[in-house]
Amino acid sequence: MEQIPAIMRKNLVLIITLAVMLVLFVAAASGMSWQDFVITLLRGLAVGALTFLVASGFSLIFGLLDVLNLAHGTLFMVGAYIGWTVYVRPDTFVDILTPLALIISGFTLGDVWRLLAQRVPQSGLWRRVLPWVAIVPGVLIGFGVMRGYPVASWSLENYAESPVTFSFLASQGQRVIPAPATFGDGSPLIAFGGLILASMLIAFGLTLLRQSDIHTAAHVSWRHVVPFAGLIAGGLVVFTVNEPLTAWLFALDTNWLFLIAVLAAVLSGMGLGALMESTLIRPLYVRPIYQLMLTLGLSAIGIEIVRAIWGRPEFTMPKPALFAGSGEGCPAESLWLALQNSCSTMLFQGGRIRIYNEIFIPLVGLIVLIAVWLLLRRTRLGMIIRAGVQDREMVEALGINVRRVFTMVFALGVGLAALGGVLAAPSIGLSNTMGESFLLNALIALAIGGLTSYPGAAIGSLLVGMLQQFIIKYGQIGIAIPLTGIVFKPSPPLVPASTILLMVIILLILPNGLLGRKE
Amino acid sequence: MTQILELHDIHTFIGQYHILQGVSFTVPVGSITALLGRNGAGKTTTLKTIMGLTPPRIGDIRFEGRRINGMRPFEIASLGIGFVPEHRAIFRDLTVEENLKIAERKKGDYVRKQEMIFSLFPDLKRLINLRGANLSGGQQQMLAIARALVADNRLLLIDEPSEGLAPVVIEGLIGAIRHLAADSTVVLVEQNFLVASQLAEYYVIIEEGRSVQSGRMQELVNDKAAIHRYLGAA
Repeated sequence: MEQIPAIMRKNLVLIITLAVMLVLFVAAASGMSWQDFVITLLRGLAVGALTFLVASGFSLIFGLLDVLNLAHGTLFMVGAYIGWTVYVRPDTFVDILTPLALIISGFTLGDVWRLLAQRVPQSGLWRRVLPWVAIVPGVLIGFGVMRGYPVASWSLENYAESPVTFSFLASQGQRVIPAPATFGDGSPLIAFGGLILASMLIAFGLTLLRQSDIHTAAHVSWRHVVPFAGLIAGGLVVFTVNEPLTAWLFALDTNWLFLIAVLAAVLSGMGLGALMESTLIRPLYVRPIYQLMLTLGLSAIGIEIVRAIWGRPEFTMPKPALFAGSGEGCPAESLWLALQNSCSTMLFQGGRIRIYNEIFIPLVGLIVLIAVWLLLRRTRLGMIIRAGVQDREMVEALGINVRRVFTMVFALGVGLAALGGVLAAPSIGLSNTMGESFLLNALIALAIGGLTSYPGAAIGSLLVGMLQQFIIKYGQIGIAIPLTGIVFKPSPPLVPASTILLMVIILLILPNGLLGRKE
Repeated sequence: MTQILELHDIHTFIGQYHILQGVSFTVPVGSITALLGRNGAGKTTTLKTIMGLTPPRIGDIRFEGRRINGMRPFEIASLGIGFVPEHRAIFRDLTVEENLKIAERKKGDYVRKQEMIFSLFPDLKRLINLRGANLSGGQQQMLAIARALVADNRLLLIDEPSEGLAPVVIEGLIGAIRHLAADSTVVLVEQNFLVASQLAEYYVIIEEGRSVQSGRMQELVNDKAAIHRYLGAA
């Protein structure tokens, strides 16, 4: 028990800061009705939860890899768009699965490529040209095949077939299965063969490019063929059951479909993260500035790609049935009744609480908070991450393949961002720029909480979300400044400014953030 | 006697600096070999080069006859080499137990070695749930060595174990390292010549990035001229 005063003395500044913030918070809240207070609190929690999903991934990546991933906001947005596609256009999703599985298949043969690469002369012109001799035809073949590959899609020119229209139809419960795309004059077999070949060529080429990996011992056994064959077989199975699978997804209860959309978005995010780390970021670990430029550039490219595929106009993602009802018994009197009647809102002392935005999102945020905390504290991977944040070299010197852990953490971080994106989509809608504000929020949250501290990310996100929502609320009802009788209404531009101000104040008092470790 | 570790004409660069300019020596199986030399001579870099943390640009390193330069550090470690770095590199955020568990290379390593480790360092058992950051220097050093014992390592590279420790603590450490050497080979970097001469059977002197003299410790102890010339101390 003697430890407690010692801990208090050590963190005196932190405790005083938190106490002052609590006093200010109570003072701010006392000017509000109970109803406004609770609803604003819940909204703050919601923004905080989404911010946390971006911030926690960002901070995990920064802590272990020292990479400031400025593309994190874009990946958040990509998660939303992928989730939307699965949710609103399951036919497109099913059509994409087969080529996706085939393109990934070649990459599962990593050890085979390494073994082959070891046979190639290690120097000379041939050595430098060969990777590209593999990659360029691979990419060309891949694109050539995909051009003729039938993927049901929307149209950016024709409004009646645009994502906006499909979103609208889906929100009206009209789920018409669009006409399936078919192979024109091409043969599916040539397409499959082409994709597998392209995948193998690209995978081999990339292995050749990664000089340092080649010398790593490679063991090839029949086991390596299992994922390769499994992916191809899986892809072909999906292809043969394409139509019934599509019909089943269209008929599926939207709650389940939403769950599938979330899973698809998270898995794609993880895949994108792993791909990004292992191909683009890895060669730049020794050059941090280039890395920063790279992630910034990727962020811009990502936005343009999303514009090219899904278009510029904003559209919404319908909420799943559980949170979308407005029929009998809605808005409900209690949370329990709301869930029973699938109401979109519930009444709270005359105010309305939106179940999805203000109950569901904070709940998911809390679950993720606990899940990642358990991962960090209770698993071997978490132990390695915590150790690696401090000293990567030592972790490697213990016989742990840190590079593989890097890839996993990057994938995890991007997966969390994608989860944030797909969760945000039904609440704030989809736009090309939705990621930017959350990235900014997350950066501020991390500066407040401490850059590499996981609890710090949570507290920082919460503060940012709360502050924004309370300022917005006071913009509506006005805040009475004590002793003056003046009622001050913060204008909307003060919302982002307020969080930056908070950040500046906290950094002046605690240069490493609330829970950051001293450098 | 067979050699467990052979270095042949190692050249290591850090950035543009040519740190090791020809280090060659061999380490007999089951021995304790001390790397001696002045500050900045390249002893620590030699250990890091063996581990692959600062890979050599030129030269050949063999562990149990197998060429290991060019391998990544985790692969080198996995062959059976334990590393106890300078300043111990204890993971501050991890508890003592986690610091040991993280060194497992096979599941159950920690459970199997527990008894041996705690008989060697009884203090650690008491501290098992303490965070690394809360240990004293001596406790951290014991933990760092214990961590290298969790996996089955046939070679231990120990950098400056006595640095910054009280004489009483050093004495215990010497006993522990001597005990370890019964099961595995030890390569030791040690500034404190007294400690090194008590522990090691063989020595290698590194001077300005080159290995300049090596042999039996017994002979060096009597060679006052060499001690004075290379180590600056009597």
